[in-house]
Amino acid sequence: MKTRIRLFSVAIALCMLITACSSGAPEGGNSSGNGDPTQPSSQTQNPVEKTPTPTPAPTQENPGEVIDAELTAEVSFGNYPPDTAPELELDTFDRWLEILVTQYPNVTPIPDYYSYTLDTYTPRAVGGTAPTIFQPPFTDPQLLISQKLVGDVTDALEEYGLLEKFSPAFVDLLSDENGRIFGMPRDTYVLGLHLNLDLFREAGLMNEDGTPQYPKTLQELAEKGKIIKEKTGKAGLVFPASETFGGWLWTNIAWNFGAVGENALERQIDGRWVVNLTSEPAVAALEYIKSLKWEYDILNADATTTTWASAHTVLGVGEAAMNFAANDSVSNPTATAGLPVESFALVPFPGVEGKDAYALSGGTAYMFAPDVTTDEAVACLALLRIAGLLPFANAEIEAGMRADAASRRDRGVPVILPIPMWNDPEFLALQKAITEEYTNVDQRLYADYFDSMNNGTISLKGEEPVYSQQLYRDVTAAIERVIANEDSDPAALLGMVEANFQKFLDSNVNN
Amino acid sequence: MNIGGYNGRRRKYVRGQYTGVIREFDAKTPGVRAMQIFIYVLCGIIALICIFPIIWVFLAGFKDLREFMSSTSILPRSFDFSRYVYTWERLRIYNNYLNSLYVVAVSVISALIFNGLMAYGLAILKPKGYKVLNALVMLSMLIPSTISIVPLFVNIQHLDMGGFFLPLWLAAGANTFFVVLFRQFFESFPKSIIEASRIDGCSSLQIFSKIILPLSKPICVVVAIYAINGAWSDFLLPYLVLNGTKFETVMVRLYTYSTQQTATADNMMRSVVFSMIPPIILFFIFQKKLTTNIITSGIKE
Amino acid sequence: MTDMKRRLSNRSKLRQNAAAWMIMAPSIALFAFFIWVPLLQSVVMSLFETTNITLDKFVGFANYADIFQNPLFGKALVNTLMYTFWSLVIGFLTPIFMALVISEAPRWRGFFRTAAYLPNILPALAAVLLWSAFFSGEESGAINSILALFGAEPTSFLDKSWLVIPLIVLISTWKGAGATALIYMAGLSGINPELYDAAAIDGAGVFRRLRHITLPSIFNLGSTLMILQIIAIFQILYEPMVLTHGGPDNSTLSLMLLMWRYITGGDMDYGKASATGVLIALILLGFTVIYNILNKRKSDSV
Repeated sequence: MKTRIRLFSVAIALCMLITACSSGAPEGGNSSGNGDPTQPSSQTQNPVEKTPTPTPAPTQENPGEVIDAELTAEVSFGNYPPDTAPELELDTFDRWLEILVTQYPNVTPIPDYYSYTLDTYTPRAVGGTAPTIFQPPFTDPQLLISQKLVGDVTDALEEYGLLEKFSPAFVDLLSDENGRIFGMPRDTYVLGLHLNLDLFREAGLMNEDGTPQYPKTLQELAEKGKIIKEKTGKAGLVFPASETFGGWLWTNIAWNFGAVGENALERQIDGRWVVNLTSEPAVAALEYIKSLKWEYDILNADATTTTWASAHTVLGVGEAAMNFAANDSVSNPTATAGLPVESFALVPFPGVEGKDAYALSGGTAYMFAPDVTTDEAVACLALLRIAGLLPFANAEIEAGMRADAASRRDRGVPVILPIPMWNDPEFLALQKAITEEYTNVDQRLYADYFDSMNNGTISLKGEEPVYSQQLYRDVTAAIERVIANEDSDPAALLGMVEANFQKFLDSNVNN
Repeated sequence: MNIGGYNGRRRKYVRGQYTGVIREFDAKTPGVRAMQIFIYVLCGIIALICIFPIIWVFLAGFKDLREFMSSTSILPRSFDFSRYVYTWERLRIYNNYLNSLYVVAVSVISALIFNGLMAYGLAILKPKGYKVLNALVMLSMLIPSTISIVPLFVNIQHLDMGGFFLPLWLAAGANTFFVVLFRQFFESFPKSIIEASRIDGCSSLQIFSKIILPLSKPICVVVAIYAINGAWSDFLLPYLVLNGTKFETVMVRLYTYSTQQTATADNMMRSVVFSMIPPIILFFIFQKKLTTNIITSGIKE
Repeated sequence: MTDMKRRLSNRSKLRQNAAAWMIMAPSIALFAFFIWVPLLQSVVMSLFETTNITLDKFVGFANYADIFQNPLFGKALVNTLMYTFWSLVIGFLTPIFMALVISEAPRWRGFFRTAAYLPNILPALAAVLLWSAFFSGEESGAINSILALFGAEPTSFLDKSWLVIPLIVLISTWKGAGATALIYMAGLSGINPELYDAAAIDGAGVFRRLRHITLPSIFNLGSTLMILQIIAIFQILYEPMVLTHGGPDNSTLSLMLLMWRYITGGDMDYGKASATGVLIALILLGFTVIYNILNKRKSDSV
């Protein structure tokens, strides 16, 4: 059990190395997957402070308990559940705040409804109204750090004994070139396939034991989608081809067709970032999406305007049977769109016969306002500890985890394991035990998804290293074109995107 | 920007009055009769196209999510008001209504005072150098305000005015369109009245409050209606200033809801309905003023 | 004596001027804060390399050069011109047509006028969200369910590159045409009916009267409204942003949306965003200048 989790952690760690510098970091080159993240870089001024990971633990008797109880701080917590949130969720959050004030009488918590988006965050950070703690996706930390829009919390993490548990994988993602750390991982996701089992049943694609005959390969996905479309009249697959979503999913499909290694979409050759979208597998991936529309005709009606959020609704209300989505959004089709948990399943991302299978993995981080003080950061960490979100296996955190699991169960959200982010076997074991105790779903409907990561049938892979959002947007445009136009030529379209994106990289990274 | 000189002319019309190309005597020939019937049909189609989408969204609000996404019927299965109540309570729209009310109330006053005074200066007082000011005001009509929204927002933050209604209230006081409306109206005042009152010893402010204002009621009503509607519908600046605070207006709420991951299409449609109700009520109260008075001011927003 | 009088009146003039500026001072401060200063700031910003909104380094016109090299700029410019074209075809003629038709209805004119104006008072954002549900390609979309009454198969509307811009223009026309039509109707009602009567006595039929009396009399109004419409459609942002997100394949990407993307699209490049905004403003100024020249030439020749 323990070894398995450790192995798994290593897998995640490896994948995170690749994610590490994510989109938008002009210096992406020196921090992307080329080795030991703890290696000091030459500009480091204070080598003692900057080595975050394997330093011996700060001497602390009971990690994860109340520290500095008398500190004074005013902290605003971003992502306070909006008014629309289920009352249970609101209550839970309010209870955490209550506990926080009893433990830290001098801390004033300010709930902030603000939820991070790149466009709204900048003016706030500059104007000094950013919440003390907020949650950007893994694509943004490097950008925020390079633009000096987030605060350094290395000291607070150290004080809390968290630096030692930091998976090396996340160090690159969340630190600057001097090794100072600006945040910590919040959750991770791994792409898979959401299924609406009602439609699978109607199409006769269920086994007698109640498990779905889900597609193992992309080819099967097309065929099974066609069966569903013919039998039920509903779309086989909902594909969000708008904004950046289409390109995001396409990268995963392209990897599975073989756009890795030699054929990688983005590669650094002699210090220069080179984009390759016209390799045979990359083109095959776009051809595949085109065939879903024009050969198999299994896509939902408005693919080119479907967003990530609406795709989940389309699946949830039974207008489509499959959706490329991850473990972090299982509440959307179920609790939000009304699909009963027993009609929902999450299975691995389909591969391609004879090729290595990959699943895109990413997540969100906790980061802090640019002017955050260590005291404020400690108060924020205290709240996370109370909420059971820090990797300590103690009674208080267990209580937090139980409350969270119970709340999910009561809201009709599938209670499943999170994907681990911290190097702490004890904590991971506790998570598993609690999930099993509170679960409201048939674990077999999720087993293959989790097993595929553990038994190596699928490898986790982070997003393409530089300016991934830009890449997604450009590729999404090409996807929209092949969906809109039967005569479009995928190879030529990708050639155009490649040329433009290369020009973009040359002027933004390769200079 | 004066469009022709169609100001101030009101016409009463009697039912069945012929004011257009077709004269009453034309209507006796059968060909023109047929044309008239055709015209009524066209008018009917125009009215239908204009009104139908609004009725449709009201009806769509009665559907639940599954019905909304799957049913091909325009009519809902049942007229269940509890769905509207649910969305109203669940999204706590009443808070946003109150916020919008605050924004609208003060914005109207600010719009009347500041734009009115500006126009008074430009149209009547005309102090030395007013032409430069006039050119600056007109110039800002041509330039999309969106391009400077970012520096504006940062300035607001630097003055520590973010997160509250104040910037929105004040912004209503700097509206080129309102200045133009006022100015056009003021320009039609006979010069002699103002000169006479000056000789009587009135100061500029007194002239404004005692002479100009009482005579300007019609234009004030027009500006007020536009200001109410504008303050209610405005989105970009309120979004940047109020997003994430407890002061979000209805439009900000509508947008943030539409981008939320938990948004569902049925709640979305009902929120759209809620955002439309006040303007529609306002419209029906001031319907005559809007369709007769505003056109005479001869300007399109 | 006269000298002194003049000096006196000069002084009172001075005082009056000062008072006038004082009266306008608060309004001027507001205009400066909300419009002029930010505008200048963005022009300045367009000449700088930026880290979020702080200016790093003066780079002259490098931002502009970069924009011209961005293939999306050309696309957005062409799209914006397409918006303008369609808005002239659909959005310009529709209100004239509406005004003419409604003016000819002897009865219920008030009702038709009210109905036509109604969409205008709806919040822009609400209208776009409404129409996005209307144009849904699912069979439950409003247009599709109407088409289904006539036995048509459901079709997708928003994934057809050639169709989306006209559709977006239709939406903005739906919202704006009623108000414009009212202005035209005011213009039409200014025509002296005796002209029609005189022409009718001379034997002019309905259509000849329309051509020779009605249309010429609203020509000036039309040209002014046209330039206002061009200015408005050139700044189109919400419709493509909410309805199609600029897609499919950037075929609805407008210049304003391109600017918005510079801010929000992942690189937070306020320098280039400002430069794009300045370019839009310059193009609009260009239009206005051309319009004024044409207008002057016309009024000179009359």
